[in-house]
Amino acid sequence: MKKKLLISSLVLMGAVGLTACSNSDSKKESSEKATVEVFNIKTETAEQMDNLVEKFEESHPDIDINMTTVGGGTDATAALQAKFSSGDEPAVFMLAGLSHAKAWSHTLYDLSDTNLTKKAIDGTLEGATYDGKVVGLPMNIEGYGWLVNKEIFEAAGVPIEKITSFADFKSAVETLDSKKDELGLKGVFGFSGGETWVTGQFSANFLAPEFNNSILETYSAEELKFEYADQMKENIDLAIKYNAKPLESMDYSTSVEEMFAGDKVAVIHQGNWIVPTLNSLDDTFAKEKLGIVPMYVESETEGKIVAGPAWYWCVNSNKSEKEIEASIEFINWMYTDEEAMTSIVDDFDFIPAYTNFSSDDIKDPLSKEIYRYLSDGKAVPWVHSSYPDGYGQNIIGVEIQSYAAENSTWEELSKKLIDTWNTERSK
Amino acid sequence: MLTNKSKSFWLLLLPALLALMAVLFIPLFIGGYYSLTDWNGNTVGVFLGFENYIKVFKDETFINSLIFTAKFSVVSIILINVVALSLAVLVTQKLGKWSTLFRTVFFMPNLIGGIILGFIWQFIFNKVFTSIADITGIAGFNDWLNTPQTGFWGLVILFVWQMCGYIMLIYISYLNSIPGEIIEAAEIDGASAIQKFFRVKLPMIMPAFTVTLFLTLSSAFKMYDQNLALTAGGPYNSTQMTAMNIYNEAFSMRNMGYAQAKAMIFLLIIVIISIIQISVTRRKESDA
Repeated sequence: MKKKLLISSLVLMGAVGLTACSNSDSKKESSEKATVEVFNIKTETAEQMDNLVEKFEESHPDIDINMTTVGGGTDATAALQAKFSSGDEPAVFMLAGLSHAKAWSHTLYDLSDTNLTKKAIDGTLEGATYDGKVVGLPMNIEGYGWLVNKEIFEAAGVPIEKITSFADFKSAVETLDSKKDELGLKGVFGFSGGETWVTGQFSANFLAPEFNNSILETYSAEELKFEYADQMKENIDLAIKYNAKPLESMDYSTSVEEMFAGDKVAVIHQGNWIVPTLNSLDDTFAKEKLGIVPMYVESETEGKIVAGPAWYWCVNSNKSEKEIEASIEFINWMYTDEEAMTSIVDDFDFIPAYTNFSSDDIKDPLSKEIYRYLSDGKAVPWVHSSYPDGYGQNIIGVEIQSYAAENSTWEELSKKLIDTWNTERSK
Repeated sequence: MLTNKSKSFWLLLLPALLALMAVLFIPLFIGGYYSLTDWNGNTVGVFLGFENYIKVFKDETFINSLIFTAKFSVVSIILINVVALSLAVLVTQKLGKWSTLFRTVFFMPNLIGGIILGFIWQFIFNKVFTSIADITGIAGFNDWLNTPQTGFWGLVILFVWQMCGYIMLIYISYLNSIPGEIIEAAEIDGASAIQKFFRVKLPMIMPAFTVTLFLTLSSAFKMYDQNLALTAGGPYNSTQMTAMNIYNEAFSMRNMGYAQAKAMIFLLIIVIISIIQISVTRRKESDA
């Protein structure tokens, strides 16, 4: 008797499960409300995003936003791929650049005629213009380079304002290292080489000039010459030598949350996305101590950072007309509604990529500095999003680990980088 | 001959067969097709024939990950079974209430998911071990996850710790099913505890090895989440197991077709090893 009951209840459960699935599908089509599935990968600002969505739903009672946040940056694309493969496609999602745009091109809605396209800052659409169509709208502008703790540099008598070349930077690092104990440092650098995405980003500074600092050229380049290999070696050698822990094994949280925020290291390789994290640990750090030092690559005296849109909002063209409209309305609202605009700058600490924002709106000092670099033309775009797929992490990231652990030489690294690029692009 | 009996036989089998078809056989055939193309996850471009398969054998990182996986599997299978059997013998002694407590404690790691286990051990290797090194001054405790050798042992320790409780349970059930009179007879003949174990108990639980070896073998080969959480393949992919290599090829490099070819080869290897293992241990069973 008991067994029978168990079996019949199992069957029942199965049946309920099946009908539940089909029910929810049909509901989506017929209900008055448009439901927009949004796939968000910015975990740093997930909470802010939820608040923003709430405000949006208040002013748009006919649109329901279903936010899914998956991320930590690295494997977000894999999660998105899984969503698509399973048929549970989101209406709004984020892509990182032209390689992504190509992979998803069959499902990207043409956003060329939207309001925001016209408002986007010059050049920010380059990474999302595929086949002559604008398929993505920049989420924000993010910049990165050597993030430094200005206070420590000053205490050692080498203020960062005086650094105007790689030689200056090198001697400053050496000075810091000699005063390590009195400054309470565990090392000068906290480069998290264990995270291959950090190294992948790091490489963008040195590969961009070879492709005329153009995302499009990087994307279509069939050959890598690795012209600025020497500059990359200089920088990474310095980091390897003075890193607080073996470079190849340091992880993100040790690097950012433990060492950098705890004044145990003075330099890390990160970008302005760590500002919300720093604020949550110590609300004066980002305001008073955080600064950025550029990389000296093409010219010995003019340093450049990497800055540009990291992620683009995309709309799924397979959805119904109504859902697409609601999706575009949501994206548009985030960057044009006054209340939302304030939140984007103040709560998200974003550097907006649209001209209807004024640069005075930016409050966070690091973001302001990055914006200044960008408007002075001292920034190269995020070319690493247009490397061959996985190249930045699985090839550059891994090879740098191997080099840092003295498992391979710089020549082997260069050869592997060049060979892999050329074979991946000749496919 | 379609009797009523065989009709109901097939009818009752149908749900399981359908489920197997849907989640195993159909995906296997689709996967087989994709492995012959340049599938990128969304669209199939051109049909490549066996080009992907030829490429696999020239892929150094894939071969390295296979070798690493094989080494890992051999070491951890031996360790898990030795540890699990010792624990099983220990908790089947007459310990009263303690026996239940020990069983529960030894089994507990198995209830924690691989990812969380990975992070727990990452904390132990990175933070606890470093503190031990600082206090005792023994440098050997430093940087366990930073070198290929210690990274390997880190993975083995984690995996043994996770699996041995489960395997222990299987051994316990076999140990408990040994008839009491046989043990008694051995005792009357004056067998020592060691003799009892090797001459009486071990041959009696031979069938258990078929199960435990299969379970440890297949889970060691397929391991992914523990690997991801503990070392993520680092440093420089030296602790990358095959499952992770395939995942990265598919989802990071987005060479889905090629990754599928790797997966097919990996499947073939696992099937062959499993069949050999089962047939060998089955033969041992009937010998005993």
